[in-house]
Order: sequence, then structure tokens, then C-alpha cells
Amino acid sequence: MKAKQKINPAVLSIIMLGIGLQIAFSQSVILNLIVTLVSLAYLIYCRVSLKVLFFTLLVALPLAFGSWWSFLVFGTGDRLHNAWIYGTRVYSYLTLGAAITLTVPVKELLLSLSLHLKLSPTFVYGLLAAFNLFERIRFQFKHIQYSAQMRGKTYYPWQPALYLRIIIVALNWSGDLAEAMTSQGFSEGYERTMTFNDRLPFWQWVLCLTLILAYFWAAFILRPW
Amino acid sequence: MQTVDRNKKSWSLRDVIFLAIIAIFFGIIYQVWSYAYYGLAATPLKPYANDLTLGVWIMAGPLAGILLQKAGATVVGELLAAAVEMLLFSSWGASTLLSGFIQGIGNELGFAATGYKNWGRTGLLLSTIGATIITFIWDWFQSGYSEYNFGLLATLLIIRFISIGFFAGILVYWIKQLVEKTGLIK
Repeated sequence: MKAKQKINPAVLSIIMLGIGLQIAFSQSVILNLIVTLVSLAYLIYCRVSLKVLFFTLLVALPLAFGSWWSFLVFGTGDRLHNAWIYGTRVYSYLTLGAAITLTVPVKELLLSLSLHLKLSPTFVYGLLAAFNLFERIRFQFKHIQYSAQMRGKTYYPWQPALYLRIIIVALNWSGDLAEAMTSQGFSEGYERTMTFNDRLPFWQWVLCLTLILAYFWAAFILRPW
Repeated sequence: MQTVDRNKKSWSLRDVIFLAIIAIFFGIIYQVWSYAYYGLAATPLKPYANDLTLGVWIMAGPLAGILLQKAGATVVGELLAAAVEMLLFSSWGASTLLSGFIQGIGNELGFAATGYKNWGRTGLLLSTIGATIITFIWDWFQSGYSEYNFGLLATLLIIRFISIGFFAGILVYWIKQLVEKTGLIK
């Protein structure tokens, strides 16, 4: 069976930013709903688990509801319209972001950005190295708190001591990792042999440009409700 | 300073990993912090929740700035923290990345105004002012602040400056002092 054709992560990122930026300035409930529905359709097409989707939508509900309600209470002008604009906007941003984060693994995204948008390999591999430490960093965060509790202290986000511990860990680990990577042959600023390759057919650039321009036309010239 | 390559302009692998690890820690802190935010954000008090808690989301940028002390560090630091947040946790989706960029620019402008020479009190003060103004303008459009009544707006601006001033200004300054005491930075 032929594998499903997905949009290339680099193109997807440009679509997300190109439309995301415009959403901030558009004033349309209908367009917000369209963006949300199209993103959801793409997510379903990519076979993202419905359960994950459901929870993603659920978690944002309080935010959307808070926005919606605040315009009814503190708003000026057409309160109802505003309430719906900013309530649904939460969802267009959420699903637009999810269309990348739930369909593309971080590694693939970073490599694709380096391949097609010339993101520097120092950033790509540096970020990957740090992402691979994610579980350890999470554990280390707990560790910092436990060791503080041993001394009868609790760290809160407004205490400098917490951040000092974090900085020390980051300094040590980044030094070790960078050294390890360099000794394994990573050289900064030099050409790399890429084994990773992802397809980016020309029509996807056309799609990207069409979507961004279509949104612009609809949001700022057509201006639906 | 140990964190930095002698050539202050370019980004070394170590700088990138260093900032990314800090960004992931921040991601975890944001997650804890967002419980405080959620409590308020589900009510009409949401704009208050935004502005009251904003400082914590802003501080990754200036912290990266004072640790690496080079042009662009603040924007990159904040952008990384936002990217990590979006990829791993966020319920704001695409707007996380956009806001992160805007916040980074706001802080960066403050340091740029000193010609990237002052990373102490003056630099941090200007950076918090820059962040307050730029993020407020952004929310004017993105979060629809243009539609709120004047009384609310004035209160929000003051709350926002206090939050950013404390977390991204005073707290970052304290952290800087602690780091200097340990001798990690000359």
C-alpha cells in the first residue's frame, strides 16, 4: 500500500507561521472556524489518535471560555462578536500548532528545517542533543527539589536559588555533551553528509503560498463575520 | 566567562545545548506555573491572569541574555523556550512560538538600547520596559486588548509591568548575582 502523503514539515512550519501571524490581526469568527476545521481534518487524515485530539481540545476549553467571557464583561463595541472572535481564536491557534506537533516527530522537523530552510546544523544537532536529555532533565528537576527538601527548603519559581541549580546543571551537561559530540566528529560550520532525506515536491510550495495568500485575501479583503 | 566561546558573535554547539537545556527546564516550570494560570483563566478574569503571570514566561530571554552576553542571545533564548514549550506541553499551539518571538524582541530591544554593553541593572530595566510595551502591543491585536475598556487596560498595563519587572528584571538580577558569586561567570 502506498504510504500516505503528508505535507513536508518545513512547508508545514511556514504555513503555520504565515497563517498564525495573520490570525492575530484578522477579525473573523468564520475564518477562525475554517482554520480550526481544516487543521482538524489534516490531523485526522494523519491518523492522530482521536483520544489525544479530544484531550488537546478539552484542555484548551477553559482558556477559550475565559477569553469569550471576559469580552462580555469588560468589552466595548460589539461584545458578542468580539467574544466569539477571541474565543474561537484560541482554537485556531491550538489546532494550527497541533497540525505540526502531533504529526511530525521533533527529530524529523529539525532535520527538515535544516535541509530545506537552511537552519544551521549547530542548532539542529545541539537542540536534538538537548531534547534527547528530556527525561533526564525532568528527573533532575525533581532531584533539585528533593535535595532542597532534605535541607528543609522548598523551591518556588520566584526564588533565585532554583535557577542557580538549573544553570549549574545546564553548564555541566552542555559542556560534556558538546565535548562528546565534537570528539565523535561533529564539526561546527562545516559541510555535513546528510543521510536524512524527505520529499518536498514543488506543489507543496504552491500549496503553502496559496493557503497564506488565500487567508490574507479572506481576512483583510473579504472580511467575513 | 566559561559559557562562551571566545568569539562572541557566533553560536557554539555548547551555547546552543546550554540554552536548550535551560529552555527545557523552563518548559517544566511553565507547566507547573500554568496551573496557577488556569485557575484564573477560565473566568472573565482571564486578562488579569495573562498579565499577572506573564513575567515567568518572559524570563527565559533576559536570563539567556545575561548569561551569554551577546547580541541575539535574548531572542534565541526566549524562542527556544517557546519552541520547547510548544513541542512538549503547550495548550496555546502556534501562538506560543509567535508570542515567544515577540517577547524575545521586546527584551532584546532593551539590551540593544545600551549597545549590548550593559547587562546589569540598566540593561535589565530597559529590557523589562521593552518587553512590557512590545508584548502589550502584541496583545492589543492578538488577544483583542483593543476591545477592552480603558480602566481595565490601564490596570493590566501596570500589572504586566510589575510581573515582568519582578520576574524578568529583579529575579534575573538576583540570579545573576548568585551566578557571579559562584565564579561561573567572571
